[in-house]
Amino acid sequence: MEQYLYIALFAPLVGSLVAALFAQSSKNIFTGIFTSTLIFISFVSSIILLYYVNANTIVNVEMMDWISAGNLSISFGFVVDQVSVIMMVTVTLVSTVVHVYSIGYMEHDESFNRFFSYLSAFVFSMMILVMSDNFLGLFIGWEGVGLCSWLLIGFWYKKTSASWAANEAFIMNRIADLGMLMGIFLIYWNIGSLQYDIVFASIVNLDIKIVSWIGIFLFIGAMGKSAQFPLHTWLADAMEGPTPVSALIHAATMVTAGVYLIVRAGEIYTLIPNVGMFIASLGAFVAVFAASMALVNRDLKRIIAYSTLSQLGYMFVAAGLGAYWIALFHLMTHAFFKSLLFLGAGNVMHAMNNELDIKKMGGLYKAMRPTAILMGIASVALAGIYPLAGFFSKDKILEVAFNDGSYILWAALFVGAGLTAFYSFRLIMLVFFGDKVHEKFGIVPHEAKPFVIYALTPLALLAIVAGFFEHSFYEFTTQLLADYKFTLDHSVVINLIFATSAIALSGIIFAVYKYIRGGFSEKIENWRIYKLLLNQYYIPKLYEVCIIKPFATLSRFAWLNIDNKIVDASVDMIAKTICSSGEKAREMQSGNLSSMLRWMVVGIIVLLVLAIFYRPMV
Amino acid sequence: MDYILSLIIFFPLVAGILGFLVSQNSIRIYGISVAFIEFMLTIILWIGFNGNTDGFQFVEHVTVISHFGMNYHLGVDGISLFLVILSTFMTMIALIGLNIKKDVKNLIISVLLLEMTMVGVFLSLDVILFYLFWEFSLIPMLYIIGAWGSDKRIYAAIKFFLYTFAGSILMLVGILYMGYLYHATAGVWSFSIPDWQLLILPFNTQLWLFGAFFLAFAIKVPMFPFHTWLPYAHGQAPTIGSVILASVLLKMGTYGMVRFLLPLFPDATIYFVIPIAIIAVIMVIYAAMIAYAQEDMKQVIAYSSISHMGIIILGIFAINAEGVTGSIFFMISHGIVSGALFMLVGCIYDRRHTKKISEFGGLAISMPTFATIYGVMLMASVGLPLTIGFVGEFLSLIGFYKVSWILTLLAGTGIILGAIYMLSLYKRSFFGEITNEKNRNLKDLNGRELAALIPLVVLVLVLGIYPKPLLEPIDFSVKKMIVLMEKKAVTQEAKEFIVKVNSIEGGL
Repeated sequence: MEQYLYIALFAPLVGSLVAALFAQSSKNIFTGIFTSTLIFISFVSSIILLYYVNANTIVNVEMMDWISAGNLSISFGFVVDQVSVIMMVTVTLVSTVVHVYSIGYMEHDESFNRFFSYLSAFVFSMMILVMSDNFLGLFIGWEGVGLCSWLLIGFWYKKTSASWAANEAFIMNRIADLGMLMGIFLIYWNIGSLQYDIVFASIVNLDIKIVSWIGIFLFIGAMGKSAQFPLHTWLADAMEGPTPVSALIHAATMVTAGVYLIVRAGEIYTLIPNVGMFIASLGAFVAVFAASMALVNRDLKRIIAYSTLSQLGYMFVAAGLGAYWIALFHLMTHAFFKSLLFLGAGNVMHAMNNELDIKKMGGLYKAMRPTAILMGIASVALAGIYPLAGFFSKDKILEVAFNDGSYILWAALFVGAGLTAFYSFRLIMLVFFGDKVHEKFGIVPHEAKPFVIYALTPLALLAIVAGFFEHSFYEFTTQLLADYKFTLDHSVVINLIFATSAIALSGIIFAVYKYIRGGFSEKIENWRIYKLLLNQYYIPKLYEVCIIKPFATLSRFAWLNIDNKIVDASVDMIAKTICSSGEKAREMQSGNLSSMLRWMVVGIIVLLVLAIFYRPMV
Repeated sequence: MDYILSLIIFFPLVAGILGFLVSQNSIRIYGISVAFIEFMLTIILWIGFNGNTDGFQFVEHVTVISHFGMNYHLGVDGISLFLVILSTFMTMIALIGLNIKKDVKNLIISVLLLEMTMVGVFLSLDVILFYLFWEFSLIPMLYIIGAWGSDKRIYAAIKFFLYTFAGSILMLVGILYMGYLYHATAGVWSFSIPDWQLLILPFNTQLWLFGAFFLAFAIKVPMFPFHTWLPYAHGQAPTIGSVILASVLLKMGTYGMVRFLLPLFPDATIYFVIPIAIIAVIMVIYAAMIAYAQEDMKQVIAYSSISHMGIIILGIFAINAEGVTGSIFFMISHGIVSGALFMLVGCIYDRRHTKKISEFGGLAISMPTFATIYGVMLMASVGLPLTIGFVGEFLSLIGFYKVSWILTLLAGTGIILGAIYMLSLYKRSFFGEITNEKNRNLKDLNGRELAALIPLVVLVLVLGIYPKPLLEPIDFSVKKMIVLMEKKAVTQEAKEFIVKVNSIEGGL
């Protein structure tokens, strides 16, 4: 089975390198097809590994040594177990679709080849992230996806806003990465290894305080990649990148890496329920916080980005409360419907000449029926309506919160479910129905090419049916992950399901009802709360005023005032003092007999005084 | 193989003197050939080097002044081996990239003499010999900055010379006192490092000697607040001067710390761990902030060097195999990466005759290959895994974590601040539309520049993925040294410290 592991891992890299060879030449359809094929091969290998792991056992290989010094010894080791294989299949599946889709989407881009090189490099990094069998290997992938994310957000580097957003994403992630590194250091000095199996086997022997710190540090790492509050602002800005990138990296795969980390390190987090509770609370907060920003935003992609943020919050609730398999399940279903939603949004953008303001669209259903249907499916799945995928996974998370007795968390998620349904259908209504506002701007919408639509159908299919695999998913993943025991009564569960479905449905109905009648009046735009939400609670502003600007000012101050005027000036002062005292002393040697005699007298007096008071030999 | 070390040291000297006979037209190819042969000699040295043997190898010992125990004594171990290879390699690369027409013959001869002194510093086992090379290295550099630099070159050259020289004088006093102490204890004169390593000194004496040596090394590194000569030197030096200065000359300071401070004065070293670490942390953060504020591309890299040297010092003063091995590896990797970055700045300076960031913008459009290589080096500089920059940084930090987690956390902000100044530099110079028409028709890298830069790119990736060939011999020598330190330490605290920082378990 090792060969399949290596194929799954390295096929994307080969694709990326080959495409990179053409990076500076003009568009070549070959790079798109070649990389897509290799990603598909990687997907097939992942499926084979999935069957193998299910039927037999996990696969673990050590490829070669990497770093060894002192007691530390780290190698490139990869493991395909129940968790990583699920991630591999999800990642490669979505990646395949996104690659094929991008052939159409990036058709007219001058840097077509470079795009595919980066995109495949991303898949490779993501595969390293999920397949590594040690924390430092995970960290390679972790930074690798960060690099690819930087390259892809800033793909249109001529746009200043794009390269700004790329830098923001990279730097924010670096802040979190420091936390993660600290966690890795702590693990190393307490256990002496970074291999998952060794760490998880000996973590129980450690002092609970140390385990808590490990948990906290690793979670700080997860907060960056998964854009949890307060490190969330980069995700919405990351929408500057091409839409396939948003679908793949900033919805389906990379941003879920944080959830993957918590699930992977589940054996650590089960020991520290307090930290888990904090993670869950933060997740619930983000679920509502992000959803609220999605309510009023007018930018097609940003709305979906906030929705991603909110759904990540749901996943963290499940992971924090110890329901690892449910977190992973929601991660998977979310990857399907959210990437579908994004790719559909990409079609809309193309049709609208890259217009993003949903208030300037409207009535696109006639022109783009297939896209409308696909996005509709994705939105229903996202809202969590039976029998689509989102229903199964999201509902389970609410059950977990209720089962845990964390009613506040449950209530937050419950409200979040309603908001999710509302903003999803607000988007659908404003884009596809109502008045054709875009006609005012002289835009003639056109549907995407057929192969692009066909490429999306697997995702749509999965968004519909993935929920029904819940039981086999549970059976499969709990072979490795800790099981989560539900103690709720059957009737309570039924009531919960009913309540959640009801709020989701009413959210949808409210949105449809409201926007069929032309939506809300303009007046609400003057409400303070509307402005607050539209400005993202003024958090980006706050960061700019309180962190970015002071940092720049302080840096300049340190350079101009401290370094030049204090440190360097004192060095120069020493030199100048010596120089000027030399200049002055030179005057003694004037050759003027009377002044030289005077100096001679001074010298004699000094020597006499010394002779009287300083007599070490006596 | 018996006299290979002498050959490595004196080949550039002889070739440099013979260089006066070579005509101006063929001097470049002559210089590159000499540097290449020299580099090959060090590769042969590496092949012949036995990674599993105690102590120094290829030792040469010729008595010079027997009465005072001053000898011609050379040797190499895992700690110095790769610094020697780095010196010869970077000299070769810098000469390949050389693009100066004025008095190029004298320049190349200066560079070859400089190469001799650098190699000599790393290979000397006699302290007087070490000191000779250490001081002599200032002279070629003084000329390189003073004769081929930009407008304020004389000021920068003199500042560089006097500042580092002042520190070294104190070291000379320390060396003589140490020699005197050896004579007082053993009854004979010796200035040999292996002899000195066996000398056990009382704690108070160690403190004084530590201070004398440390100051010289600290100025060379340069550590905060002795760093202000560096921005001037880099700002004024020609590209080749900056490349050699950043990649090798600064490492002489950190090499001195590993070679002298740790094994000779273990108790004093451990006594000063925390104060020095605090200075190192200040260096990391302070220099990174100043780098962010710079308007000149070369100064950003100059200050980033100071910031990275802070992490190297932290690794050295971790006193465990992880940290010290990591810091030595980081010396190598920083040599390669900062050398490459200075060369890249040189490439754009040759085209535009300015280094001001505000003059650039949109360079990725006109010079895509240049932007790509710059991007690779940038990522290595911010320490992305699988590039050479990560290994040393990671090991240095993990090593120091055992000493103090809070200082490691603070020094770790270097990875964030590093990303901030580097990415902002990259964005301002390479991204966006071309705002300055002068940048529109710039030629991408030419063959000469690629020949110099491609080997560096390859090394950055290869050693990032497979650092083992370097790490193994370094780690072996470092472990031996730490055992020696533990044996030699006179205070109980120092012994306990060494045991503590070298063992797993125990926490936050």
